[in-house]
Amino acid sequence: MTTQLLAAIPLAIVASTPLLLAVLGELVVERAGMINLGIEGMMLTAAMTAVITAQLTHSVMLGFLGGIAGAAIVGALFGLFALRFAADQIVTGTAIVLLAQGLTGFVYNGLQQNDIFNQPIPRLGIDVIVPLAWIIIPIALAFLLWRTQFGLRLRACGELPAAVTANGSSVAQHRWIALAIESVLAGLAGAYLALALSSGFAENMVAGRGFIALSIVIFGRWKFKGALLGTAVFGIAAAAQYALQASGRGVPFHLLLAVPYVVTLLILCGIAGRVRAPESLGKT
Amino acid sequence: MNVRRIAVAVLAAAVAIALLAMSGIAFGHSPRELLSILISGSVGSNFALQGTLLKSIPLLLTGLSVAIAFRAGVWNIGGEGQFLAGALGAFLAARYGMIAAIAASLLAGAIWASIASAMRLWRNAPEVLTTILLNFIAIHLLGYAVNGPLQETSGKYPQSDAVPIAAMLPTLGASELHSGIILAIVAAIAAWFLLYRTAEGLRLRASGFNRNAAKWAGINVDAQLVRAMAISGAMAGLAGGIELLGVTHRLFERFAAGYGYAGIAVALLAQLHPLGTIASAFFFGALTTGAGELQRTAGISSTVATFGQAIVILVMIVFTRSVRSAGVSPAGVAASRRHGRAEER
Repeated sequence: MTTQLLAAIPLAIVASTPLLLAVLGELVVERAGMINLGIEGMMLTAAMTAVITAQLTHSVMLGFLGGIAGAAIVGALFGLFALRFAADQIVTGTAIVLLAQGLTGFVYNGLQQNDIFNQPIPRLGIDVIVPLAWIIIPIALAFLLWRTQFGLRLRACGELPAAVTANGSSVAQHRWIALAIESVLAGLAGAYLALALSSGFAENMVAGRGFIALSIVIFGRWKFKGALLGTAVFGIAAAAQYALQASGRGVPFHLLLAVPYVVTLLILCGIAGRVRAPESLGKT
Repeated sequence: MNVRRIAVAVLAAAVAIALLAMSGIAFGHSPRELLSILISGSVGSNFALQGTLLKSIPLLLTGLSVAIAFRAGVWNIGGEGQFLAGALGAFLAARYGMIAAIAASLLAGAIWASIASAMRLWRNAPEVLTTILLNFIAIHLLGYAVNGPLQETSGKYPQSDAVPIAAMLPTLGASELHSGIILAIVAAIAAWFLLYRTAEGLRLRASGFNRNAAKWAGINVDAQLVRAMAISGAMAGLAGGIELLGVTHRLFERFAAGYGYAGIAVALLAQLHPLGTIASAFFFGALTTGAGELQRTAGISSTVATFGQAIVILVMIVFTRSVRSAGVSPAGVAASRRHGRAEER
């Protein structure tokens, strides 16, 4: 069991990479004072647009760009409602998840006769996304948020937006930028899921990773170190799940499928010590 | 005011239908053609109308579940899981008869939802996330059940045996429609009475409207949260129980089919009013049934119904943003989340 667990760890790191990207993106957005449940829909849309672009252009690179574009459209829609219309963010996020599920299902079934979803997809040569997600992006974002004036203002949008306004800066502008950063990350996440981890698009393939990401942001207390740690804990739990599956100890397959969500619930309950969210989180 | 709210809802529904019909252009169908299929497939014949009413029953109950929770300022996005819990509860109790099965569905839904309120109160875990996570857990538990302990005795398909005939809901006359529709409408009236004609309802709404003000008025807001979640969960559980006892008679993997999430659209179109939910559920029932017909005759995926739900929610957001009191966003929820429980004591 132990050797199987060790063997499963590299797999777990790769498998939780899209989750980590989503966690990083949601962290930036929540630091700017927004809760975006719609990230689930951003990833799902990105997975689809990535596959379509990759198939049409025969390029993985462009596939990833297509994923980012897909996530950006969904992110812009969230921004339009949450920022422009000052709508409730949880209601908007839920609607956006439904929208993405409906639209991707619609397009997926509509294009079934086409070869786009049936032919093998172009594969990633060298996996640059894993080191990018686990090392470079967290460092870059931590620097941006805690070592620059812009980052200070962005975090102020999550704590005391009035102060940003008083400073002569635009809260909405900073939040839009945060959404843009999240779109890039959620786009990469969705594209990685479809182009690297799976062999194409499948309906509802994101399977709650967006919601799990939101939970990990809370567990990580809205900090990048915590985000990495939380995703790692989750990844190890996932590795244990793979190991258990491989060991064939007769734990029913369907119960194993529930493990990630149970682990996330436990993670959420483990935060105990009254974590302090950004003061203006989710306020419209 | 009431006229205006109804007008807003009708307009939102019309806009959603128009957008839906136009989206067919992408696949070479004329909007007019799609519209006529949608209408004839949902209310155009006796048979279609029965299908619509059958779909409206669970939608009405999950819609009530969301309306009660949101009115009380509780983010219960877990209708899907509570629906499944209710169906499982009803299935397990079905051998003791119909009444027992229905009671079990109410109880199972309430218990499943209460896991989230317990986690909120004891560990400060936000219910918006825990209820969603519990949906996924319920889906996989059901998957396990119908592939394992509850699989049919012939062991052929991943589904359960049928519930005993004594536990099935009787049909109305010669139609396919079952008596669950009466239960659902009674539930809607009861929910209205609870929210608007009792002291408990006033406390629930006060807690949702302004958590801090409610607390200073002497309301135990934590207890209200627990009760709102339990009542809301019971409604979604009842939806699952009625669907099992009245329509499917068996459990299978994709049993929930999105009814829980659809409840959010149902409740928002009704502007969180229990009686408005009846009309709203009928609209979404028609949309779902019409979408099924679209799939059969025009080859358009029936997931357009989900698309339609999202459009309705978004359109309602735009239409009601000037009238916050219309209730698309329970005030005070964000405030309670912001301050955390530590400061409320």
